Amino acid sequence: MKTFKERSKALFRSTPLRLAVALVLLFAIVSLLSLGASYLVIRDSFNQTMETDLRQELAGFQSAPTAGALAQLITAEAAVTDPERRILSYLTADGKHYGNGVIARSQEGFRVLSFPDGEDISEGPYLALSANLHGGQLTVANSRSQIEDLGELFLNILLLSLLPTTAIALAAGLVIARRSGRRIEAVGGALRKLTEGDLSARVKKTAGRKDDLSSIAEQVDRMAAAQQSSVSALRQVSADIAHDLKTPIQRVAVLLNRARELPDLPDKLESILDDAGRETTGIVATFQSLLQIAQIEGGSPKSRFQPVDLAALAATFVEVYEPAADDSGHQIAADLPVKGTALVSGEKGLLGQVLANLIENALRHTPAGSKITVSVKRKGNRISLEVSDAGPGVPADERENVLRRLYRIEKSRTTPGNGLGLSLVAAIVDMHGGKLALTDNNPGLRVSVVFDGVR
Amino acid sequence: MKILVIEDDKTTGSYVADGLREEGHTVDLMTDGKDALLQASTTDYDILIVDRMLPGLDGVSVVKTMRGAKNQTPVLFLTSLGGVDDRIEGLNAGGDDYLVKPFAFGELSARVAALARRPRTTLEEVVLRAGDLEMDLVRRKVTRADHVIDLLPREFALLEHLLRRKGRVQTRTMLLEAVWDISFDPQTNVVETHISRLRAKVDKPFETELIKTVRGSGYRIEE
Repeated sequence: MKTFKERSKALFRSTPLRLAVALVLLFAIVSLLSLGASYLVIRDSFNQTMETDLRQELAGFQSAPTAGALAQLITAEAAVTDPERRILSYLTADGKHYGNGVIARSQEGFRVLSFPDGEDISEGPYLALSANLHGGQLTVANSRSQIEDLGELFLNILLLSLLPTTAIALAAGLVIARRSGRRIEAVGGALRKLTEGDLSARVKKTAGRKDDLSSIAEQVDRMAAAQQSSVSALRQVSADIAHDLKTPIQRVAVLLNRARELPDLPDKLESILDDAGRETTGIVATFQSLLQIAQIEGGSPKSRFQPVDLAALAATFVEVYEPAADDSGHQIAADLPVKGTALVSGEKGLLGQVLANLIENALRHTPAGSKITVSVKRKGNRISLEVSDAGPGVPADERENVLRRLYRIEKSRTTPGNGLGLSLVAAIVDMHGGKLALTDNNPGLRVSVVFDGVR
Repeated sequence: MKILVIEDDKTTGSYVADGLREEGHTVDLMTDGKDALLQASTTDYDILIVDRMLPGLDGVSVVKTMRGAKNQTPVLFLTSLGGVDDRIEGLNAGGDDYLVKPFAFGELSARVAALARRPRTTLEEVVLRAGDLEMDLVRRKVTRADHVIDLLPREFALLEHLLRRKGRVQTRTMLLEAVWDISFDPQTNVVETHISRLRAKVDKPFETELIKTVRGSGYRIEE
């Protein structure tokens, strides 16, 4: 199970979520720009309207004939005017003030003023127009709070439209990312298995929808099927070749046998015929191994698997190879547990071949006098079988290679063998769900095979 | 014995047929599966030697059909397929023994003899004898001319196997199967070594040799 951290990391790397975030950002920027532009345009037109307003107002007051009349007019008007909205102010030449607010004197024109507190005029910038009239200064100022309010309104619109959009887009992005993440994971998983060598792995169609992901899945499956069939065709061909060649080899063996049985053969011819007979046996053994590897890799039915006592089997093979070891000056030691305690599920004949091949390899590739140890151990529910020797070993960079079919290390080209022994072992171990490892025995080679035990 | 050989490869077929004729058997040779099935069901044979790959009807189907018709004639399969699976498939189909090509004639001959419906020693027998050699299966005791011979378990099993098949050749692969329970040839001299150890105990101290080597085939205890 993946941790939450890993999962969220994978989620944020997923394309749909990234697309969703990018779209939200783009949308936000566009909204901001368009609302900002609208705000500016509207504010501008507001300003103009207000300016026109002020001019008309000012023009109205300018029609007053005298300073006294103007002062009266201002006072009357100011009484019914809310200073928060509009301020009227007339400062006469002799310093008298009329109106509903004080405006500091300044040069003529439009100014934004802030009124001091204390006169009930609270706050806010104003747009003002002043004119010199009858020796005094007349100022009419309109509050800009409407424009200020407009800004707030636009900000609210912006937030109201952006927040839900962002939230919904992100949530949808997450959901889609999750869902497509699962489908992408299915494709990835299948590819991983294929890379690891399980050619039967498939993505399998995700229900219903036809889209780019399902078409990628289909194509991966098609590629895997093509790969699998070409590999199995290759296997079939090698099996066919091996099989078709065995009949003629049988004939050669028959003919050699007949020749060998002729009376009065010269000794030299007899030994030549015997050599030829041994060669055919070698050829047959090679073909037999090739056929067998192909068969095992072609998926042998595991329904026939039965509990096999690895300790008893190892004991038998140590015994079987003891005479050969004696002849070649080797020692075979067995380190085995009590019989019946190392049960694995498998095919006895094939597991026997694993033992035979490993012991034969050790005998073949170590000099006389070397000791070979065959051990079976139980660790928890794992049962390990080890065949180790004190010979020259296999260099670390060659260990992968020796498992390859027909591969032989340069220096062992002169020793007998067909280079199939370890490939056969690997195929059998794989079929039994075991793990094969070649390690250094310091000195020598240690081949270990680990199986799941039968409880 | 009357033997039917069903083998489509002419060289192999005539090699097998000629060899068996030389040993004094009556041999019919057929090359097609269907014809052979007809022949086998109309004529009474002692043994059938059947190749697995045949034109017409393959060997396994021939034997399955025969067994379906309650024909119990012993069958020896010949095959170029030597995998464990093939062996088991052949034996499940009703074959009694299995020989992988290429084989030596001695091996075939020994296996044919083993399959023949000759009276065998029954399992209930508790004392096996050959000449002055006695093997008491209950007390696990072997004596020859009243001398007790100590045998290791594997040597005991080997001698018992040969005694039970007195007079018939046992090849090294047959012995590997019976005594060591190994169904493939591990290319070792384990059989030879055990036979020579057995001889050192059973034959060497005495005048007559009981365990005979049959050149190119295997071993036999004389009747």
